[in-house]
Amino acid sequence: MHNKQLEIRHRFDVRMLIFYAAVPLLLGLLLFQIMRLQWFDHEKYMLQSEQNRLNLVPVLPVRGEIIDRHGKKLAINRIAYRVSLIPERIEHPDEILDVLAGMLAWSPEQQARIRKRILHARRPDRPVLVDDKLQWQEVAPLTARLHHLPGVNVTAGSFRQYPYAELTSHLIGYLSLARERDIDAGYLPSEFIGRTGVERSFESTLHGRPGHQREEVDSRGRRVAVLKRTPPIMGRQLQLALDVDVQQAASDALGKRTGAVVVMDVHNGAIIAMLSKPGYDTNRFITGLESEQWQAWLNNPEKPLLNRATQAAYPPASTFKLVTGMAGLQHGARLARGSTFCPGYLQFADRKLRCWKRTGHGKMTLHSALVQSCDVYFYELGDQLGMAAISDEAHEWGLGEKTGIDLPPEARGIIPTHRPYMMAAIKNSQTKRKKWFRGETMITAIGQGALTATPLQIARLAAAIANGGDILKPQILAGQPAEIIHHVNIRRQDLRRIQQAMRGVVTEAHGTARRTLSHAAWSAAGKTGTAQVIKMSQHDHKKLSRTELLRRNRDHAWFMGYAPYKNPQIAIAVFVEHGGHGGSAAGPVAAAVINAMAAKQPVMAAR
Amino acid sequence: MLRIFRGLDWILLAGLLCLATLGMLVLYAAVHQGDTGLWYKQATYWGVGMAVFLTLCFTPLRLLGLACWPIYGSVLLLLMLVPLIGDVHMGARRWLDLGVANIQPSEIMKWALIFVLANWFASREARGGIEIIIPLLLAAVPAALIVIQPDLGTTLVLIFAAAAMMIAAGLPWRLLALASAAAVASLPVLWHFMHQYQRQRVLTLLDPQSDPLGAGYHVIQSTIAIGSGGLLGKGFLQGTQDRLHFLPEQHTDFIFSVLAEEGGLIAVTLLLALYALLIYRILMIAHRAHNRFGSMLCIGVAAIFTLYITVNIGMVSGLFPVVGLPLPFISYGGSALVTMLGALGLVMRVAIESRENIPWQRPGSPLA
Repeated sequence: MHNKQLEIRHRFDVRMLIFYAAVPLLLGLLLFQIMRLQWFDHEKYMLQSEQNRLNLVPVLPVRGEIIDRHGKKLAINRIAYRVSLIPERIEHPDEILDVLAGMLAWSPEQQARIRKRILHARRPDRPVLVDDKLQWQEVAPLTARLHHLPGVNVTAGSFRQYPYAELTSHLIGYLSLARERDIDAGYLPSEFIGRTGVERSFESTLHGRPGHQREEVDSRGRRVAVLKRTPPIMGRQLQLALDVDVQQAASDALGKRTGAVVVMDVHNGAIIAMLSKPGYDTNRFITGLESEQWQAWLNNPEKPLLNRATQAAYPPASTFKLVTGMAGLQHGARLARGSTFCPGYLQFADRKLRCWKRTGHGKMTLHSALVQSCDVYFYELGDQLGMAAISDEAHEWGLGEKTGIDLPPEARGIIPTHRPYMMAAIKNSQTKRKKWFRGETMITAIGQGALTATPLQIARLAAAIANGGDILKPQILAGQPAEIIHHVNIRRQDLRRIQQAMRGVVTEAHGTARRTLSHAAWSAAGKTGTAQVIKMSQHDHKKLSRTELLRRNRDHAWFMGYAPYKNPQIAIAVFVEHGGHGGSAAGPVAAAVINAMAAKQPVMAAR
Repeated sequence: MLRIFRGLDWILLAGLLCLATLGMLVLYAAVHQGDTGLWYKQATYWGVGMAVFLTLCFTPLRLLGLACWPIYGSVLLLLMLVPLIGDVHMGARRWLDLGVANIQPSEIMKWALIFVLANWFASREARGGIEIIIPLLLAAVPAALIVIQPDLGTTLVLIFAAAAMMIAAGLPWRLLALASAAAVASLPVLWHFMHQYQRQRVLTLLDPQSDPLGAGYHVIQSTIAIGSGGLLGKGFLQGTQDRLHFLPEQHTDFIFSVLAEEGGLIAVTLLLALYALLIYRILMIAHRAHNRFGSMLCIGVAAIFTLYITVNIGMVSGLFPVVGLPLPFISYGGSALVTMLGALGLVMRVAIESRENIPWQRPGSPLA
């Protein structure tokens, strides 16, 4: 019995010993696991906890407004709500997108596009903009449900609005959302970037620099505290030299016609108006343009996206006769001081070069030939000068050269030379001849042929004639000092003759712009131009209606000049595509511009 | 009266007070940004629990020995009622509405089982035959009823406590080996009976990253909290994981990660040392006890505490699947705290009775 008791006691002791040993084993196992986490892998978990709680949130700058010279707003920012989401935080993108699509009334295509953006986001940890320009009523139901939609954010922000939209579309330009390329360059995916016009040229001034704040967030991504804030650098306001009222007057005068108007301050090159028609509604770019609309603009034969004032070069036609005339005076060509007889054509070898006036102008001097725009006189003058002299003179006056306006891309225009290899470089030259013919010089002398210039170049030419020969850099911004690129060394009395002839165009009985500009509020001087259009090919014919065909085969109309005559303030270039005759089609537009200017500066009218 | 104080295990008591202090500090850190009322409630539970503790210190074990069978019997009856009329909470039928209060019979069953097993082994060993079959049935019937509720945690407690007591009672090794083999063999059967969320927990344990926002979220966030605490911790109330609510159930089952994040390895070591002290003292009381009923009771209590600690810390640190067992004396929760303090009261009573010269007890005789 006693042995039995001892045996039981002994067995109990052994079992207790096992327990004594098991307890430190179990607790040691736990301690080891904790040490593994807290000691060996501490760095890793520390990093994870920091990533958990810290969020670097960009604070976007407000883009600078654009105003015209009188302070009228051309580009402003309106408060609106935008919805963005962080792809990384979203577990079931399709479910979330379905919910958002229902609440924000997305079309299926829109949803598909947004879905693509989210799934292909290069930085899934950064917010991706999915909808913008929303009013409070539209986002209110969404904000109420945000806690069910982790990763979705609604933020108040500003969006760009262009009060004059189509009127200023080419000059101001538009914005669009940062693309992959921009993001690589350091932009944030929710930032808007200027793509064309002033918005693009002065992007760095207008944009500002985003700030950021380091936020502590809780497990639902909600902000708990702002730890550090670097405020954004706001975009600066930009005041343009543009006078939107003059722009409007030009646009009204041009009506539905296609064309361009440039109004330039003759003293400092400030761009008072720069219009290209047709325009397009820049406000439609902000939400991410529907691709159909974009395609429609791209395919529109009227090319609304093209800035005809700077990006398109046209034959300057008779406005170029000024250059030929000045070349004649500069080089002391016999005809420039003398006269010739215009029977309505010029017999040249076996060809007849026609004057636009079939019945002929009769006896023509430089003055009367400019006033009446006689072709025969300039055929002869050109022939006496030779292509090199004409070409050099054109370059002197800034043709065939980029104006350097801060509105890229800009067309250079073409000034042909007598050197044959240049011809090969001219596009659309159907016959790439190796030899330059005299006849071609004569055609060029009246502004036809391969010669082309942009309306901006022609406006600058007018400004240079008005200001005594200063070729100016066109200034988009207000208050810029004159930047003289080049001064043309022309004798004062020679320039005077040209100016008097330009005045004669407006005032004299046979002046080509007398009817349209003699009653303008300011005394004007100028030159008309009517550019012959190369007849369309048979192939192109078939696609167009009869009336359209007639229009298409109409000549381009030009007017360039300046006002007031005695005390020049503004230079004007008006180009009307297929407008018809320069004096009657382009002249009234110039008159409207002058009247608009005069209404703004009544003092000037007295002079 | 004084004799009772002489018999108190002052070291156990001191350890308990340290745990109480630490627990209240950690709980404050866990709830200070949210419902601070929970902290005051927990303080009240400590008061109630200590009252129960002291009451049981004065309650002769003999009374418990007499009461254990009726208690076990009635709890088993209630447990059998649960599948029939119980209330469903969060996918499990555990609660019984008794009109005056909602109770979880399974919670009481843990303690009823160790009382009845202690009583069974008070006068016999577990060497074979009826000596083993009866305790096995006593444990297996309620375990089966609880596992179908389903309540894996409590089932585990019953099995673990019964196994520990049977080992202490001298279960032959070969039978233990056999039982272990049978247990391993029954794992697929267990898997079959497991609730979907429990299976998910097991799978997630194997690879928490497979479902970082779903079932793996809790474990990932708690391991981040623990790991980011480092050696010294982020400082009291400075834990970012709990302050920013990345931690789930941070005042109940996951409170350990709050302690580990803010107190670091130092605090974890302190906590584990206090637990080691607690369990050791209970085991020593069991070893020194003058009657076998007391020994067995203490071993049952020690087993439950050990399991709670291991499963809870193992769970939050990613060692075991998520099984909802509280961290003794630290987790928020009134009934768990009061019952555990009551259990300690019983242990203390065993200590007291081992020191006192109590007439009905024959010292030195393990088999009464």
